[in-house]
Amino acid sequence: MKGLFKNNYYTALLSVKTFLIIMLLSGAFVVIFDTKPPALLISNYMLLGMIGFPFLSIASLQKECDGNWGIYKLTTPVKRADIVKSHFLSLPLWLFAGIAISGISAALFTALHGYPFSKNTDIFMLFVAGVVISLSMGAIFFPLFYFGSEERTDVYLIISLLCGIGIVAFLTSLLPSSLDTMQTIVYGILILAFTLLTYTLSCLLAIHIYYKKECP
Amino acid sequence: MENILELQQVSKTFPKSDFNLENVTFSLPYGAILGFVGENGAGKTTTIGCIMNTITKSSGTVKLFGKEMTDADTEVREKIGIVYDGSNFPGFWTAKQLAEVMAGLYTRWDNSLFQKYLEDFHLPSKQKIKHYSKGMAMKLAIAAALAHHPQLLILDEATSGLDPIGRDEMLDVFLGFVQEETHSILLSSNITSDIEKVADYITFIHNGKLLMTVSKNDLVYNYAVLRCKESQFLALDPGDILAYRTRDFQTDVLVANKKDTQRKYKGIVADHASVDEIMLLLVKGKRI
Repeated sequence: MKGLFKNNYYTALLSVKTFLIIMLLSGAFVVIFDTKPPALLISNYMLLGMIGFPFLSIASLQKECDGNWGIYKLTTPVKRADIVKSHFLSLPLWLFAGIAISGISAALFTALHGYPFSKNTDIFMLFVAGVVISLSMGAIFFPLFYFGSEERTDVYLIISLLCGIGIVAFLTSLLPSSLDTMQTIVYGILILAFTLLTYTLSCLLAIHIYYKKECP
Repeated sequence: MENILELQQVSKTFPKSDFNLENVTFSLPYGAILGFVGENGAGKTTTIGCIMNTITKSSGTVKLFGKEMTDADTEVREKIGIVYDGSNFPGFWTAKQLAEVMAGLYTRWDNSLFQKYLEDFHLPSKQKIKHYSKGMAMKLAIAAALAHHPQLLILDEATSGLDPIGRDEMLDVFLGFVQEETHSILLSSNITSDIEKVADYITFIHNGKLLMTVSKNDLVYNYAVLRCKESQFLALDPGDILAYRTRDFQTDVLVANKKDTQRKYKGIVADHASVDEIMLLLVKGKRI
């Protein structure tokens, strides 16, 4: 698995590096200049950080399809299931990177300008939204990626991202405004648990699909 | 003689294509190089796909090191080095990054050996692979295939991007590799001169069907092409003819018993049968 993680890391590195530079520069801008409530810029910035890194990591999978590397990997001493698992485990690692950057930015913002949101639970729910969008995107993308043809990766990527955003929008619409702090946290945790379960089931499905896939 | 690789009646059907691989049977003994010859689209890469399980064969058996390899048999794949035609590795990587990935994939990855090959082949380790020439990329793939101490090398058109000097250099590497009695090479190639130089056995494939497997000794000492006039051709015993092809006023006839036919048919010129010519006669010629 170590080699597969390194493979995924080096495959995503170039895109992620560029994104990281953009995030750091825009982060400085947002933290310094977004001073007035309701701090829309910092909210969107945090979401972008949490979604951007995982998005770019799965988008870079397309680069593996250029040439024979995808087939070559199958001839190395790794199981197909491990290849799939490495992709499913790499995405949360990039998500953690996004959470870290978003968290640091939120902390800096709070230190400079005070707490940017109206409710105490807003920041928690913002992180929940970022995690759910990213994991849902992965849960939809990977099975499609292994099932379909490589030329359609772009389409699968956009569909997955839109579905991820749609799922969060739907879940947010279900959230009653009358919930107190504890109820909101429980609701957030339940959504997270459900997303993790879906992500795990998607991994099993992707493994099943990949075992049937032929790479001529 | 024990075989490192054995294919028995391997078939693969593609429902959406006219091409099928049909009952391919051959074996590669330990310590030998088997040249796998066929025109583009003959089924060489499909056969390699069946050997490596990158595609699922429809029927037949493939034995590597005496056993059928499944996805779980990672220890079998530890013993195999592979080189595909074209780009084997992502172009945006450097050789250094490739080495790090490979070290994580193969337990027996030998980084000092890989570095030695990079030096020997004059490959810069910090340059992106996409900036390598085709020949350099192929040499890198060969270095990577050798650097985990495999016992079996499977080379799919691995010399195609190399110039004559580079090819000669690589053929020396291959010959050095099979000096170990436990090492073997399956060398699929269109460059028949390379096959003639290094192969111990040659397998011919055409349109998904195996035409024949012949040892190089047999090829050199027993196979010949008879250059016949029409009357001479008509006088030949059909049992002696493997394949024939008529061109203008001459019929070329492939025979597998050079000395006998020379004795039997006085006055007919019998030339050495090159791999190219055998291929042409088997593919373009007629069989009785």
